[in-house]
Order: sequence, then structure tokens, then C-alpha cells
Amino acid sequence: MSTIELAHDLYLLLAVLGLALAVAHAGLPMLAQSAFMAVGGIGALQLERLGLPIGSAVVVAVAGGAAIGSLTGLLIGRASAAAVALTSWGLAWLAYTALLTFPGLSGGAQGLTRPAVDHLSAVFGLTITLTPTAHLVLAALLCLLALAGSARLRRGPAGLDVAALRDDRELAVSLGVRAVTRRMAVMAICAGVAALAGAGISLLLGVAAPADLSPLLSLQLLAAVIVGGSAPLVGPVLGLVVIVAIPRLADWLTQGGSISDQAAAGVITAAILVACIALRPRVTALRGRAWRHDDAPRAGAARATAGDAGDAASAGAPPENDAASAAAPLAAAAPARPQAGALLLAARGLHCRIGDVEILRGLDLELRAGEIHALIGANGSGKTTALRVLAGELAPSAGALEGERVRRSFQRTHGFASLSPYSQVLAAARAGDPAPGGSLLRFAGMRDAEREAAEDRRVRAALALVGLGERAQDDPQRLGPGEQRLLQVARVAATGARVLALDEPAVGMGPQERERLLAALRELAAQGCAVLVVEHDLRLVAANATVVTVIDEGRVLAHGAPGAVIGDERVREVYLGVAA
Amino acid sequence: MSAAVAQQALVTGLATGATYGLIALGFSLVHRLTGVIAFAHGDIAVGAVFLAVLVVIGTTPVASSLGVASAVALIALALIAGALLSAAVYAAAVRPFLPRVRGGTGSDVIGWVAGGLVAGLLVRELLSLPFSQQAYALPDPLSSGVIGLGGGVTLPVRAFEVLAIALVVGIGVERALARSGAGALMRAVSEDPTAAALLGVSTERVIFAAFGLAGALAGLAGLLIAPAAPLGPTDGVLLGLQGIAAALLGRLGSLRLAIAGGLALGVLESFITAWTALGARWAALLPLILLVAIAPTRSNGLLAR
Repeated sequence: MSTIELAHDLYLLLAVLGLALAVAHAGLPMLAQSAFMAVGGIGALQLERLGLPIGSAVVVAVAGGAAIGSLTGLLIGRASAAAVALTSWGLAWLAYTALLTFPGLSGGAQGLTRPAVDHLSAVFGLTITLTPTAHLVLAALLCLLALAGSARLRRGPAGLDVAALRDDRELAVSLGVRAVTRRMAVMAICAGVAALAGAGISLLLGVAAPADLSPLLSLQLLAAVIVGGSAPLVGPVLGLVVIVAIPRLADWLTQGGSISDQAAAGVITAAILVACIALRPRVTALRGRAWRHDDAPRAGAARATAGDAGDAASAGAPPENDAASAAAPLAAAAPARPQAGALLLAARGLHCRIGDVEILRGLDLELRAGEIHALIGANGSGKTTALRVLAGELAPSAGALEGERVRRSFQRTHGFASLSPYSQVLAAARAGDPAPGGSLLRFAGMRDAEREAAEDRRVRAALALVGLGERAQDDPQRLGPGEQRLLQVARVAATGARVLALDEPAVGMGPQERERLLAALRELAAQGCAVLVVEHDLRLVAANATVVTVIDEGRVLAHGAPGAVIGDERVREVYLGVAA
Repeated sequence: MSAAVAQQALVTGLATGATYGLIALGFSLVHRLTGVIAFAHGDIAVGAVFLAVLVVIGTTPVASSLGVASAVALIALALIAGALLSAAVYAAAVRPFLPRVRGGTGSDVIGWVAGGLVAGLLVRELLSLPFSQQAYALPDPLSSGVIGLGGGVTLPVRAFEVLAIALVVGIGVERALARSGAGALMRAVSEDPTAAALLGVSTERVIFAAFGLAGALAGLAGLLIAPAAPLGPTDGVLLGLQGIAAALLGRLGSLRLAIAGGLALGVLESFITAWTALGARWAALLPLILLVAIAPTRSNGLLAR
């Protein structure tokens, strides 16, 4: 293999490393990598023609690639994975077709050319001659940088957010993780790296032609990422093998056999790609088993700071005492503890339609600091819709909603499948109280030890609150359904929101877990939170809620202390179906 | 643009659009059932045509007229090849990435996206073995006459025939699925696969049937569109993207709207081509621009199941 070929393949690996961030880490099936490479490759050569020195032209083209990437991120900001695949495949073909049909853009079918071996005057009067060997060294260095950079990014706050979004977007967004911003950042990096790879290849070969940047290149790069998976070191190596080995294997097979034909090489390439994709379920299974491995560095960091955090949970305290020992107030975003009884949220006359059905018809609700407020009602009375409107997920069609931000939990139990309970709660804590520019600072190596210690304290307090301190680093798949629900409460509590809304938190819990849940709710209320609980179990409500609101057909039917409300005959009739 | 040119653009646009509608129908049918975008669908349309041509005519087709027997064989083979290819692509490249029990855990989107794409690539590469030229003028079972509109502008008769066949088949399939028992099974599986399975519906068989039907429709669309311009074995990707754009215009799910979306896309393309200020180059970009613009906003239709 010649130096040029090797340098070329290393530049392709660079594009794979950028793509891995979007595909393996963010879970986006991104197929526009060839278009981003075209921005770098063709863009740099076009800018040179406009009179820029080639070095600046590459820098501008890479910046342009990153900008187009972040715009793509904005475009697909809220799209499902299937829509992302479709959009990016469309983008790849749009760029390719435009380059072919508008020769002014790309220099026509033969592309743009420039001298392959060129002298670059760098700073300090140094002159670099861009020989294939110089490219090889440069490409290898860039690959190492990209590897180190993406490892660092994955371990930082942004990486945790992106992993949470990949595992369960709806849940992450409900905790306050900024989905669109994160997607834009991931796509900016992915596309910027691709543009750099594209520019490198066109400088190496001295030509940038549309035919080398067809959407099939995107597919090849995606296959490389899929084979490599998100394994930290093995992944890129396997990816490189896919890039390097498949075309050569196809060539070798067709030369060795009787059929010596380019078409045959194409068939073999396609067949090997099919085989690679078919292996994916197994690769995914491997990744599932290796979740702890991904998590280990964070866990280590957490333990290092846990010593001075006064951690009670790790001392082996029985679960019942956990809640009491969670002395650190969770509402860290609002250090001033509100007066018990202070109005935190007021909803007046809320109306909400879903499709043609009016679910809420003038709902009034007041949530005050220090109360456990049970929201009860028959199936279909509008409880979950009320939660969604309060949490800002659904816009009310009429009515007023004033007060603090509401964080809510879902009826489904499972959380972020690949994150340890500690990381899940950490993601929520950071989303609730984001450090401005925190991801960038962490990436640049500037750590805010005080903030990290505070985050660690909040996470441990939230886990201790629900008695999961011992399970902080466990495989999330091994938590029982009741523990999953307790973890839900911990996540919501760790956001630091003072108004918490929990959708049927006690479902599927055993008596002990129920006690832990109730202790946690009481502790949260004591810390000045307003806890709104949708619950079906009237005995649980009667014994533990401080206020009960009964809704029926989207309106408040009764409101007041549990004893009075549950005894109310209208409530019994509507809710229990007992004839008055 | 003169009135005669506009009429011509409208008729040819409707004809092309009706064939897009057939492809879009397949996309929508399959997406409604499985949540999958059939990325190999365009390659199946073109692949079915070339397979039929290979069997009936051989590897060096010319645009000559066909005997009745050959024409019937060509049509039948294209439909069968489309159905088989589509079902095979589903079985080999899509199904492994869907959850075993529908409605359980989510499907592996990255898996079926890549699976569909590489399956399409394999179809293209296999076709390129016997058909090594970039494009072929394929025989046309339909008539070649024209109707003069004055001013040298003519309307091809085959445009009317294509429009009639595609609309009759498309609307016929849509109506049949809306009324028949098989259609009811498909709706049941698309609305609640778990409940359908509990009622004893073999969801797997229904999905296979849907992929087969979509493939047969794609084969027909390929046959109708192939003789209009020289067709190459690798042209399937763009044809598929045109079909997806049409299906997206029809909100990806409603079969009736898929046909309407196809007609709208065909007419738009045709008018842009006829409009001298823009021309064919922009017409080629139109479906891709529509795709990129609409796909991200159709998140509710593109359920990540």
C-alpha cells in the first residue's frame, strides 16, 4: 500500500471518528457525512481560487462545515432517528446532485484540481512541503487528536447529556436537558471533522471531484462506525479495517478469481457491507454488556470527591434512615428555603385539547411549598394531561399558569438504559443547574472543583433520599420496577426544581419501597418543595397527602384535606362508582 | 410558458406523478405497519424492471415494440420480481432490527436504516453485472402515438395510458385495503400490533404481505416510468427518494394522500422543467429539497418504533 493510499485512508478514519460521535454516542443515523466532506474538500479549493492562501482556505472551509453541521443539527433538532436518517440521506444526495448539475460549484465531473505536492508557508517563516508523508503524519496526528477529543467530550457534562438524550430523549428533555443545543453541538463537531477530512483528501490528491464524494461514501463511513460501535479503542480500529480492507479485499478476490471486473468488486463490497450490518445486533449486545466500562471514569471521579461530601449512604446505613440523613437540601438552585405554605404555582381555568377531545375544561390548581398534594380522579379524567400542561409539555388553549418550573416523572418505569443510577441523577442535577459554558471549560481542562463537589453532593443526597445510595453504580437493568420508580423520584428531585409532579410513583412497589417513597416525599416537602402526586391508591393518599384535589372531566370536583375530600359523596360517586 | 406547453407539462407531470404515487403508496403502507422507511424501495422498483427485462429480452434490450406474449410476461415478471425482492430485503435487512414483540422495546433504527441502504446497494451492484452500460432504452408495451396541440407542441398518448393505469391500480389498491378483510388485518396490525397478535393475527405474515404488495407496486411503477427516458441500473436511489418525497407530501401514512402527493410532485417537477428560468436541473433538486425540508417536521409520522 502506498503512502498516499494510507494517508487517504487515515483521513477517512478521521471522518469516521467524527461520525462516531453522532452515530454511536448520540444515536443519530447520520448519512450526510459525504456532503460535509464536500464542503471541506471542494470549499477549500474554491476559496483558494478566490484568492485565499490554502491554509486559510482550509480553516474557513472547516469552519463553514461546522456551521453547516450545526444548522443541520438545528434542522433535525426535534426529529426522530428515522427522520434524521431520511433528512441526512436527502442532504447527501442534494449536495451530490447539486455539485453534478451545477458545474460552477464543483468544476464539473472532473472536479477542481491543484498541485498535489505544495509548499505551505507556515508561521515563523517555516515552510512545510505537503508531501504524501507529511500528509500521513498530519492525518495520523489528527486522528489521535480526534480520538482524545471525543473521549474527553464523552466523559464531560455534554457527553452525559448526549448519552441521556440517546437513551431516552423524552425523559432527558423532561429533566431539562437542552436537546436541540446538544444536537447542534454534536453535529457541528461531526461535520467540522468531516470537512477537515475532506480538505485533507483534496489537498493530498490535488483534486476534489463530486464522484469521490458521493452518498455511497456516507454509507461506507456509516458501516465503519456500525462495525466499530462505540468501543473506545477497538471501535476506530475496526472502522479503519472496514475502510481499508473491504475495497482491497474486493479487488483481491476479483483479481484472484476468474472474474476480473470492477462490477464484481462492487458486488463484493456491497455483500461485505451487508454482512457488517448483519453483525450489528451482536455488536449492540456487546455494548450493552460493556456499559459499566463507559461509566467507570465518572464513577471514580465521584468517589474521589465523595470523601469530603459527608456521604452517609455508603456507610451502609439501612435504607429507612437514608431519607433522614439526606441533610443536604436538594433545591440547590434556589438556596433560600421558601416559607411553608408559600404559593409556588397557580393554574387558573386551564383548558387543553388533544386532537378533537377537550381534556382539561377549566382546571384550577394551586401548589404550595411544603405540601404533598394528591391529584386523583377516574381514568380519563385528565390527570396526566394536567401534569403535561403544568410541566410545559403541552400548551393550554386557554387559562393562566403562573409560578415556578415544574419537573415531572412519567408513568413508564425505565430510565436511561446505559447510564448508572449515579449518572442518571447527575445528568438531571446538571440539567437543573447548568454551568454556563461548563462543557467547554471541562473540555479545555478547566475543572470547577467546587461545582463538581456540589453536584456530587446533590446526586448523593438525591440517591440517599430514596434509599438507592448503595445502588449508585449498579447496572440500571438490574433495578427492580419499584427501584426504577424510586430512581425516577431521585432524578426529578435532583433537578432542584421546587415543584415536582410524580405520575403514579407507587405503582409496582412493595411495602418497603412504598415506605421509602413516602419518606422521600415527606423529606422533599419538609425542604420546601411542593410535591404533586397522581395516585390511585386512596388509602395511601388519605394517610400521606396534605391536600387532595379530585378532578373529573378536566375540572376540579373537590379540593381540601384528605379526610374531608375522600368522604365527599360526589367524589365517592364519580371516583369509586358508588351510588350516592 | 404558453398554454400548450403548460398543458403538456400538466399531462406529462400527472403521468410521472402517478407513478411516484405508486412508489409512495408502498412507502406509506410499509411505514404505517412497521415504522420503517424502506430505503431500498427505489432500487427494488428499478431492479424488478431489469430482472424482468433480463428474463424476457436478455442483457441487451432495445426500445423495440414487443409482442403481446412478451409484454404480458414482462409485466407479470416485473410484479413478481418486485414483490419477491421487497420481501427478501425485509427478511434479510430490516426484520433483524425490529423488536421481536412489537410495541415492546424500540427498534434499532440505525440498524434498519443501514440494512435497507446496503441491501439497495447490493441490488444495484448485482444489476450492474449483466447490465454494464450506464443507461438503457427499454421497450415500451404502451403506444407511442402523440396528440398535436398546435404550435409544434404534442402530448404523448402514453402519458394518458400511464396516468390511467397508475391511478386505477393505486386507487384500486387503496380501496381494496380500505374494504377487504386483508386491509382490515393490516390496519389492525398498524394500529395495535400487540392486540392484533393476541387476537390471533399473524402480524409477521401481514408485514410480509405488505412488503410484497409494496414491491409489486414498485415493479409496476418502474415499468411505467422506465421507457420515458433511458434508465440505468443505479437510477433506483433517486427514484426512491422521489417516492419518499411524494409520500412525505402525503404525510407518510395515508395511502390516499400518498397518491395525491405523487401527483403533486410530478406536476411540480414537470412545470419547473418547462419553466425556462429554472429548467430540468432545478427539477432534479426539487424532490431532494422537499425531502430535506419536510422529513424533520414529520416526527410524529416517523415514529421511532
